[in-house]
Parts: sequence; structure tokens; C-alpha cells
Amino acid sequence: MSTFIETLANGIKESGINPQKISITSDIPFRPEDIKYLGVDYFHTNRGRAVAFGTGLKLTNPSLKVIPIIGDLITLGGNHLVHAGRRNMELTVICINSFIYREIAHKSAPETTTKFSAYSTFEEPFNIPHLANSCGAVYTARWTALHTDELAKSITEALQKNGLSVIEVLAPGLNYYQGIDKIESSLLNFYYENSEIKEGIEPRETEIRNDQKIIIGRFTTLERPTYLDTYNAQLTRVLGDKFIPYSGAVAEPKKEGE
Amino acid sequence: METLTTRNTYHPMENLLRMDRLPHIWCPGCGIGIAVTTLAAALDKAQVDLNNVCIVSGIGCTGRVAGYVKLDSFHTTHGRAIPFATGIKLANPNLKVIVFSGDGDLLAIGGNHFIHAARRNIDMVVICVNNFIYAMTGGQVAPTTPLTAYATTSPYGCVEPPFNIPYIADSAGAVYVARWTALHVRRLATSIVEALHKTGFSLIEVISPCAQYYSRINRLGDGIDMMRFYHTNAEIRHGENTKNLDIPFQSNIICGKFVDRERPSYTERYNKWRTQIKGEDNEG
Amino acid sequence: MKADPKSVLTGVYYIDGDVAAGWGALAAGCKFIAGYPITPSTEAAEAFARVAPKAGAIFIQMEDELASIAAVLGAAWGGAKAMTITSGPGYSLMMETIGYGAMLETPFVLLNVQRGGPSTGVPTKTGQADMMQSRWGSHGDYEIIAISPDSPQEMFDYTIKAFNLAEKYRCPVMIMADECVGHMTEKVVIPAADEIEIEPRNFYKGSAEEYLPFKPGSDLIPQIAKAGDGLNLFISGLAHNEKGYPVKKDEPRGIYLKRLIDKIQKNKDKIIELKEEETENCEVVVVSYGISSRVAIKGIDMAREKGIKVGNLRLVTVWPFPDEKIRELANRVKAFVVPEINYGQIVFEIERCCDGKANVVLVPHGGAGVHNPQDICDAIELGAQKEKKSEGIIEFKTRLEKLVFEGNWSAKE
Repeated sequence: MSTFIETLANGIKESGINPQKISITSDIPFRPEDIKYLGVDYFHTNRGRAVAFGTGLKLTNPSLKVIPIIGDLITLGGNHLVHAGRRNMELTVICINSFIYREIAHKSAPETTTKFSAYSTFEEPFNIPHLANSCGAVYTARWTALHTDELAKSITEALQKNGLSVIEVLAPGLNYYQGIDKIESSLLNFYYENSEIKEGIEPRETEIRNDQKIIIGRFTTLERPTYLDTYNAQLTRVLGDKFIPYSGAVAEPKKEGE
Repeated sequence: METLTTRNTYHPMENLLRMDRLPHIWCPGCGIGIAVTTLAAALDKAQVDLNNVCIVSGIGCTGRVAGYVKLDSFHTTHGRAIPFATGIKLANPNLKVIVFSGDGDLLAIGGNHFIHAARRNIDMVVICVNNFIYAMTGGQVAPTTPLTAYATTSPYGCVEPPFNIPYIADSAGAVYVARWTALHVRRLATSIVEALHKTGFSLIEVISPCAQYYSRINRLGDGIDMMRFYHTNAEIRHGENTKNLDIPFQSNIICGKFVDRERPSYTERYNKWRTQIKGEDNEG
Repeated sequence: MKADPKSVLTGVYYIDGDVAAGWGALAAGCKFIAGYPITPSTEAAEAFARVAPKAGAIFIQMEDELASIAAVLGAAWGGAKAMTITSGPGYSLMMETIGYGAMLETPFVLLNVQRGGPSTGVPTKTGQADMMQSRWGSHGDYEIIAISPDSPQEMFDYTIKAFNLAEKYRCPVMIMADECVGHMTEKVVIPAADEIEIEPRNFYKGSAEEYLPFKPGSDLIPQIAKAGDGLNLFISGLAHNEKGYPVKKDEPRGIYLKRLIDKIQKNKDKIIELKEEETENCEVVVVSYGISSRVAIKGIDMAREKGIKVGNLRLVTVWPFPDEKIRELANRVKAFVVPEINYGQIVFEIERCCDGKANVVLVPHGGAGVHNPQDICDAIELGAQKEKKSEGIIEFKTRLEKLVFEGNWSAKE
């Protein structure tokens, strides 16, 4: 079992939420064994659409907890993430960052570089916690995949939060089909050793730069009404009795003999 | 009726506007025209070679801007103005690229391109006309529509908090961020000139009245009433933390230049990286 | 199952096709629409947004069409009857995820109010040039159902039908309307809720251990599940087996595709709806769909006045294509006349089914308007004059084309 799946399982367990009510939407292919182990529902979406898919899932059945796990440095799904933040859609987004730190790896840990092409290393990375915060996320954190206890705790906290939570996980060497399982251990160790925990720091200051240690920790936590809170409040205010408070859109099941 | 094209008089912006396409399609009281003439004035002031300036627009009311400006102009598909402009800029880094589009085009469907271009720090000037609504399609809710404001797809009031555009641009990595209303034409022109001389991703948000949809649906009067509103409610605070720039429904609008910093642009980083990899010989 | 009275706006109305479709969705039990404004489909979203809160349903305007369709799929797997509404460029953006929906056998409805293209094209005017895209637009091989209504009343009725088909066959169902139908205002009669038959969702009710999300019943359709029922769902767009697990090296790959195709093709007779008139004893048959079928009526009347025996075949269901019907007609008619607002899409399907047994006359139209009935009448005459043998597709030259390409047409006229 991979470190990440175990961390995720611990985070879910600690939150006290029934795994049956948890759905993972992800454009990263998980292994069926892992999903069975977690006891959750899993939707492997097309690339970049995990957050938008999760939005539909959550709105249809608000009793679900939806965890979109997105990879690829939010390249395809970046827009969905910022808009989910703006709406404060109740999703626990785990953003697997396997790409942005290669430049530092390239310079400081030369033994790891042979595995990666130099392609794209000149691009600057997003400061994901800051971006998430700027679009309205209620919880932001960043950990490396080796900070298992802290990450699990963050997952627990995020699951208990009402609104969009974004947890960035630095996990290099994402192998496509194997999922988050095969991690380049040497590079991961490098991340682990070169990181510094600074909790509660202003997200603006958390930029990953190659002249300083990676700042990790829980950065922000705030309270904001969620999309459905705002929706129900506004429509009650305007429509009064005519409004049927929205509580989900699950269709009537087919009865026997129908 | 006599139109501008048939009148044989001199227009001071003839060298910058496509006079043969006038009159334009914008409604009376709209602020986009003001933004366009301000851009023309700024281009004049910036002393740039107009043959080296491209303007790219997306879809929507503001998307039509490219069609009225006498530069190399591109009216692209919905949301894709920034990636199109990225292509132009990378193909010929000597060009000055201006993206002139609306809030819906740049921030809703084009939101991902927006944040990624800012992250890459592509050298371009993005002028985002924010009229708080989708006007071309008839007044639908936009990602900038203030909470509780009415629109046709939020018939009982908007339930989604709006974007704080300068904050997003700032957090994604823009090097120049400013906001003005359609009333602040001189300051807006100065900002455009500054942005044109800046290397990197510059964002200028222009708050503009939409008399026909936003103001009508929300009963805020016509264009001139909105201008009066800006006059009393706009507050200039240069250097304000972009975090504090939310615009709630009919409240204060904080304007000014918020971010002006240096970060290597995409092209600069690329060239540096290329030199590192290939050595000095292969530069260029 | 009968419709929920809360969702049915029973009465007689004078509304446009878009509004009728929005209300039709609500009547069909749709509780979730995610969309993005795009002319000329926006009115449907606006209509739904207006009535949804009073019926416990929700409309969410997403950030773009990519998000809209993904949210609709999410909603469908959350257990909702869901729909998205779009047109032109938005439809193109949705293509990838439509294929994903077909792969996951997700029931959902997509309303495409077609406009002039390509690209931004003519947003405010009509077109019928997305017909092939609806069938083949996403990559890979799959089947969908497409319906083409021709009046506001049909926009209401067939939106309900689209939901019923989606539930029954677990596949994307497209309502391929066009701007003319979407913006046409006519009388629409909305019946009482107990007169509207709706197909409930066939949720799996057995034990979690035995559940196989893609194991078909005798009708080739598997029972659907929803998230949160403890079924430990594993749903993936990768080629999967009955359990939903990605197929391994030693399993036969690609075999799942056979059933995706078959569940539509083998149920064709139950899915296809056609409207025929005087096709028993005719020399020429006009085959049309959408707004073109309304214009064709006038053209047919004009030709009948000239003494030509003309039949009228209207494709209500365009996909799956009614091959058998066209084959049967090809044996006994001289020609098919196909008016469509494009330069030839469905006409190729008809030519394929004719198999050299009858002529096929295409009456094209470049979009941004409808046919001149006189053109259709002339094309019928042309078809009737020809000997009964195949000359392939004969492209009819319309009056407008003659005027523009051969005459001295200018904008001022």
C-alpha cells in the first residue's frame, strides 16, 4: 500500500466520516485495490475535470463528501479550481504537485535529474496556496508526501471544514498508471529535508523558490458560507414561501414492476 | 441618417481607429467605447511603433474591440484571447501584444489561461473591461456579478461571490496590476502607458457601466448615473493590498495601481534556460 | 411513473422553443442543469433558472462548457437527472466529456440549439451543421441518441422523451434543435402531470458484494448506481470490465465496445420515431429534420399542386439512423430530396442506404436562414424528372446561390 493512500485512509478515519459517503474524483488513475481499501466511491474523470465533476456530485447529493485529487499541476483544471473557490463549493481538493520543484531538484540534487527531461523546467510554478486563497478557499495547506502525520491531520481538518479546502502535496515522480504509488524516493527525501514548517504564514509568502527552503504547513483557515448556504439564504430572502429549499437532486428510483 | 463615415471631417484618432467600421455596436451609455479611446490615447502617448502592436480580443461586447482599432487585430474564439496572444508573442517577441476583452471572456471561460499566462509571466498587457455581467448574450450572471445582484440566469439574485480580479492576477504572478473605472480616463491612459513599457504580464481592470443590461436589470439608472456613481464611490488607493479589493454590490470601488514589481518574463527565463543548456553559442 | 405535479407547469402558453425545453426538462424530472450562456440557447437556461427554485431543482452557471458538462456527469452519478444546454462553440468544447459520458454509460441530456458556424459563425441565426458532430464528435467509437424537434411544442414533448430515452438506454441523448425552433414563439400545451409518463432511474438495489456496475441485463443495459450507497464504486473512463476495473493485459480489450454499440443498434426499433405522410405510393420522398421539415411542408404542397406524387418523411430521431426505412423506400421511389441547413451531412447517410437504387437530391443551405420552399419544390421536380438510377448525390443549386455566384448581388439590395 502506498504511503499516500495510507495517509489518506488515516485522514478519513480520523475525520469520523463514513467512507461510504466519501467520493474521490480524480484524473489520476487509482488502483482498484486502493479504492477497496479506502472503502470510498471513486470516479476517474477525464483530464482536468475532477473538480467540475465533483461539483455536480456534491450539488446533487449534499450529504456526500467529495475529494477531488488533481495532478498535473492544475494545468487543465485550474479554472475549475478557482471558480470552485469563488463559489466556496464544499470540496476537499488534494493537489498532487509533482512537477514544479524539478528546477530545484535539477540544481541541488543532480542524482535525480537523469530521470526527468529538462522540458519545462524554466517555467515558474504556481503558488497554489496563495492562488487558492485569492479565489476564496477556506483552508489551505502544503505538505510533502513524507509528512504523513501532518498531511493526514490536514486531510481530517479539511474534511471537517465547510467549503473549498486545498491541500497541496509535493510528491514527485507520479507514474501514470500506478498512480501516486511509485514515488521517487530519493527526490522525495530531498523535498522532505529541504522543507520548513511555517504554520499560519501569509499565503503570499509561501512561494516555492530555489534560493530558500520549501515552506510547508497549514497556512489559512477561515469561515465563509458555502455555495448552498448562500443559495438557500438568498432564495429564501427573495422568494419566501415559494422557494423549496434545495437539498439535493437525487432522482426517484424505479419501483418493482415499473 | 448621416454617419461618421460619410461625414468628411477629421477625427483626432483616425490613425488608430477603423473609421470605416463606425458607428460601433455598443449601446448608448456603455463604457467600452471610452476604454477604446483611452487605449488609443495611451498608444499615442506611449510612443510605440504601431506596426509592432497587436490587439487580441475574445467574444462578447468587449470582444468587439479588436475590430475597431487600426492595429493588427484578432477577434478570437470565446475565452481564448490570452492563449492566442501567447502564441503571437512567442512567435515574435518583438511585438507588443494587448489583450482587450471582457470579464466573462477572460475570467470565466478563459480563467485558466488567465492564471497560467500570469504564472508564466508572458509579456502582454491585458485590459479587462468589467461590466459585471454577460451583456452580449443578454445579461447573464458573470463571475464578477456582485452577490445579490440580479441577472437573467440569477433571476432571484446572484448567489456566487464575485472574483476579486486584481487579487487573482496578483496571486498568479502578474507584475503590474491596476484598476480604474471608465470615468478615470487620464489615469487609465497613464496605466496603459506604464503597462506597455513593462515587461511581463500586466493587468488593468476597467470598471465599466453596462446601461442596457446590468444597470437596467438592477435598476441603477443609465450610463450617466453609473458614471456619477463612480464619481462619488471610487476611491483611489495606490499600493493597496490586492486582498482588500472586493467590490460588493453598489459599494465603494477601490481604484489605483496595486502591483508594480519585477519578475523575469517567460521569454527571459526561456532564453536564460536555453543558454544554460546549450551554451552561449546557440543563443537566439 | 407519472411526472411530479410540482414540476409541471400545466397550462396553455405562448412561449418560444428554448423556454419550452427548459420547462420540459423540469417536467421530465430533471433537477440539475449546469450551463453557460451562449446564443441562441441561453433562454432555455434562463427559463429553467426561473422555475427551478420553486420545484426543488437547481441551475448552476458554470465557468465554461467544459465545466458544465463535467458537472452534469457528476450530477448523473450523484443520482440526478441532469441536462446541459449549449450551442455552436460550446458544443465543440463539450465533445471530450460527451465521449466520457458515453464510455461510463451515463444517462444525461444535452440540448444543442444549433447556430451558423464554423467557429463563432452566425450566433443569432440558424444552422443544422452539427448533425454529424453529434454522432461522431468525440474521439473513439460510441453510440448516442439524437432527436430533432421542429416546434416549441415538440421542444417540450421531446425534451421529456429525451430524458426517458437517456434513463432507458443509459447513454447521452442530444436534442438537436436549431435557432429557428429555439427562438420560434408558438402555442405550447403543457398537459397535467398525470398525463406525462416519465422513466424513473433504474438504480441497483442488491448487495454491495455482488454489484457489477457494467454488467448488462437481458436488454444489454446495466443497472446504474449512485455515489454514497456503500457500493465502493470504481468508475473510470479507461477501458473497463463489468466491475468497472481497467482491463488488464490478459483480458480481451475493446470487447466492451461491442455492447456500447449494440445496446443502441439492437434496440433501434424501440428508439426510432419517424413521421411519415403519403409515402406509400409516391415517386419522390422528402427527408428532413428540425426546422427544415417545417419549410419542406410548403415545398411539398407546391410540388403536389404540380401533380407530383411526393411523400414526406420526417426524422424525429436522427441518430440512430433509420437505415431500414430508407432502404425500403429506396426500392420503390425515384428520388429522395434532402433539404438541410448545411452542405451535406444526413444526405450521405441517405445515399449510403439507397445503395444505388434511387437518386438523392441535396438542397443545401449555408445557414443563417431557412430554405426557400420554391427551392425544395424545384428540387422535387428535378428528382421526379430523373430516370430511376443512381447518379449519386445531386446538389441542387438554390436561388440564393444562383443570385450570389452568377448574378450581380450586392449588400445594398
